[in-house]
Amino acid sequence: MIFLAMTWLAPFAASIVALSTIPPLVALYFLRLRRTRRVISSTMLWKRATQDLRANAPFQRLRFSLLLLLQLLALSLLALAIAQPQIEMGDSQAKRIVFLIDRSGSMNVNDGPGDRSRLDEAKKLAENRVRAVNSGGIFSGSAPSVMVIAFAKDAQILCPFTDNAAQVIAAIRAIEPTDETTALSDSFELARAFSTVTNPDKQSTVAADAPAYELFSDGRITDLSQSVLRGGEQVVFHSIGKTATANAGIGGVAVSRNPNRPDEVQIYARVINWASEPFVGDIEVHVDGRLRAVTPNPVEVPVSQEDKTLGVRIPGDTQVVFPSLPLPKGGIVEVRLAKHDSLIADDRAVVVAAPPKALHVALVGRGAFVMKTILEGMSLESLEIFSMSEWNDKLKKDVLTPDTFDVVVLDDEMPDDLSRGRYLIFHSPPISAGISPYGTKNNATAQSIRDEHPLLQYVNLNDIFVSSMTAVAAGGEADVIVESAEGPMILTLNRGALTLIYVTFDPMESDWPFQRGFVNFFANSIAWLAAGGNSVADEPLAPGDVANARLPVNAKEVSMLYPSGKEIPIVENDPSNISYGPLRASGIYTMSWKAPKVKNEPSSRAFAVNMNSRVEGRADAAAEVKFATERVAGIQGGASVETAFWPWLLLLAVAVLCLEWWVWLRRV
Amino acid sequence: MNPILKVDDLLDSRLMARLDRLDVISRKIFAGKIQGERRSRRRGQSVEFADFRNYSHGDDLRFVDWNIYARLDRLFLKLFLEEEDLSMVIALDLSMSMNGGNPNKFDYARRLAMALGYIGLVNNNRVSLFGFGAERIERLTSMRGRRRTREMGRWLLDRTAEGIGGFTDGMRTIALGGQGRGVLIVLSDFLFPDGYEKGLNYVAGRGFDVFALQLLAPEEMDPARHGLAGDLRLIDSETNKETEVTASTAVLTQYRKSLETYVAGLRDFSVRRSITHQVVETSLDLDILLLDYLRRRGLLA
Repeated sequence: MIFLAMTWLAPFAASIVALSTIPPLVALYFLRLRRTRRVISSTMLWKRATQDLRANAPFQRLRFSLLLLLQLLALSLLALAIAQPQIEMGDSQAKRIVFLIDRSGSMNVNDGPGDRSRLDEAKKLAENRVRAVNSGGIFSGSAPSVMVIAFAKDAQILCPFTDNAAQVIAAIRAIEPTDETTALSDSFELARAFSTVTNPDKQSTVAADAPAYELFSDGRITDLSQSVLRGGEQVVFHSIGKTATANAGIGGVAVSRNPNRPDEVQIYARVINWASEPFVGDIEVHVDGRLRAVTPNPVEVPVSQEDKTLGVRIPGDTQVVFPSLPLPKGGIVEVRLAKHDSLIADDRAVVVAAPPKALHVALVGRGAFVMKTILEGMSLESLEIFSMSEWNDKLKKDVLTPDTFDVVVLDDEMPDDLSRGRYLIFHSPPISAGISPYGTKNNATAQSIRDEHPLLQYVNLNDIFVSSMTAVAAGGEADVIVESAEGPMILTLNRGALTLIYVTFDPMESDWPFQRGFVNFFANSIAWLAAGGNSVADEPLAPGDVANARLPVNAKEVSMLYPSGKEIPIVENDPSNISYGPLRASGIYTMSWKAPKVKNEPSSRAFAVNMNSRVEGRADAAAEVKFATERVAGIQGGASVETAFWPWLLLLAVAVLCLEWWVWLRRV
Repeated sequence: MNPILKVDDLLDSRLMARLDRLDVISRKIFAGKIQGERRSRRRGQSVEFADFRNYSHGDDLRFVDWNIYARLDRLFLKLFLEEEDLSMVIALDLSMSMNGGNPNKFDYARRLAMALGYIGLVNNNRVSLFGFGAERIERLTSMRGRRRTREMGRWLLDRTAEGIGGFTDGMRTIALGGQGRGVLIVLSDFLFPDGYEKGLNYVAGRGFDVFALQLLAPEEMDPARHGLAGDLRLIDSETNKETEVTASTAVLTQYRKSLETYVAGLRDFSVRRSITHQVVETSLDLDILLLDYLRRRGLLA
């Protein structure tokens, strides 16, 4: 029955060989050589002397012959070998195969043989698959074309469709691990784009044969439910990793300065447990690499649980608050588990705590009492208040005026020029920045709120009521933070030297000023803008994010130092607004530059990139992947590799030929 | 050797003169049919004393031993051995396998049969000739006296070798025939497809003093020295079946082993049944065979 499970890579060639060799061999046994005829008294003794005296008139009945049997066996084995039988394990007969190799954070779990990572296992398995589909040799049919796509947060083609096995293997080996989240839909889109043939004459799209997908992953993919397989598409899922691997990690960390004692910081951490057993362990705090605090008692994190309603697994989590630590100059704060598990990347989380900074803020426009009061209540270095005409005059004199302030608050009025600077804008739409107003909406409530955004830390907008707001259409560069049924309520925009937060309504036409969250939002916005539009207090980046920085205008020789120690120069025309990335691995990245020395101006900036254990920390490999429309069962590890039998058949054929030769020698 | 065209070709006068001095001897004593020149198991009227027995009424008073009567006062009768003739049966293989070889095995066998028969006739033995072949038994029985020599020669002259085997049936016919017990000389190559065992068993168990003379041609004894080499298609003279042979050194060696094994098997079989077996290569001069070989083997004296 094993033949039924085999793949025959070159059955046509085998048929030709079998038909062209076996019948002639049998015919040769029928035919006789031309020999000298001699009449003798009796052939009885000759028959006894040698077995090849068996009479064989032309085309007489075929008699049993061990030699013929052995030769037929050898030829049959050769023909079978040429057919290249292989054990088929879900393999497709597609002419094109797309290898989708997961390089997300969870693929760094070291639960493979010899504590190898899942990514290493996936790469090894993928290499074996490439060799298997190209193992035909000179008798094989055409090898399928293979494309290699590595995916994590986004997808990347490492090798377009090619039948060059060496190129494919080189591409597979070049895959670097990341700590990013896992999204697969981009990979399918990319593969489909390369699988589609366009006829330029008819201007119509002709879909080529759907490629076969081979997915090498642990199955923990966030957007599977949005991925739909099209007709003819088939996925072979190579399940990498063990289904019982436990993992705990740091789900988040926050550092805030004590408003009353700016030299001290308060550190918050969230510990995540994906295991079915409670996690118990100590949590440590390191500042600039030195252990500064540890939890007095081991932290116990409850087990993860299955939410049957949503059909998802919810990790157990526990929040940890450390006592205030003195940090007058800022530094790199790292929260880590005292004991590492199989996934190291999420066992630690790092934030870059900036030194307490005295901010210069301008309040321009109407200057509502509430805003003025709030700003005055913040520990700012300076607060300057301008009317709009005064501000426009200053802009006319010096267009770089906005850069002299860390944040400019525009209250219901727009300046003549809004090309650079960092703004917190209320109500009046920044049309010049690409935001298009189209009317006024009344009686709006917040419906979609991105709670995780740094601007909304400790801000509750669930109960806010806005009597009137400007209806705007946000462009592609805008990032909507809060949205109502009538349109965006709060959005951010970061374009070139311009960074702004736009609140589409006048707070005075809402009940927001009467809530504590309004003050927090104000403070968050000032800190976020002052920090360059990234974070309140250097909020950590997620793997795959891009680092944005505002450097001095005259900064030169900008470079980025990776956590691995590798330093890469950054070529950027406008140092005042640098975007670099994506930063795929977790850890501390340090951007450094050279500029004329200005007092107290730093010459480097650190970026913390943390893997979010809540998203990517689940380490138990999935036995199947559930797409939107179908499920695909996984093939475990190397079992899915097709075993090529033809070399063994060839070896056996040679052995049979040797045996036949030996038998023949014994008889002659 | 000249072909046999007439009776004189079977036995020339020179050899005939030398054979006159020979006689057929038997290791056994058989009862003859008529009074002859050989001792018999029967008590008869020869001059050779055999035994005594008590006189009984009606016995011939000429054989009473009167000297014993004088001493013992009892009548004893003297018994004398009877002298009778010897039955000599010559069985000639008429199968096609005999018609081969150089010198021809059948011609050689006929000359040998003629010579042996002549010896038997000259010595007043009762000579019978049997020819056995495929489904045929030909015979010329109960000849006696020199004057039957030509008759025997003509009979031999008329015999031809053809067909397959017939050995078993021939031996059975001889064993069950009424020609009387005596010396049986079988002239054959003993290359019978269905074996020789059954046929020899028929005559071995019937009291014959059997001589099995196995006639083999020189090319059968040593094919390599007589032109059998290379890729050959050998045709069996009896069955006309063809056999392909590549007469390599290894094959020829194996053939010689097979021949030795076959001859040794026949010899062992014969010895166990008191049959005298003798391989005769047809290149051997008939004089030497008769005057030397067969005398040493005890057939002739």
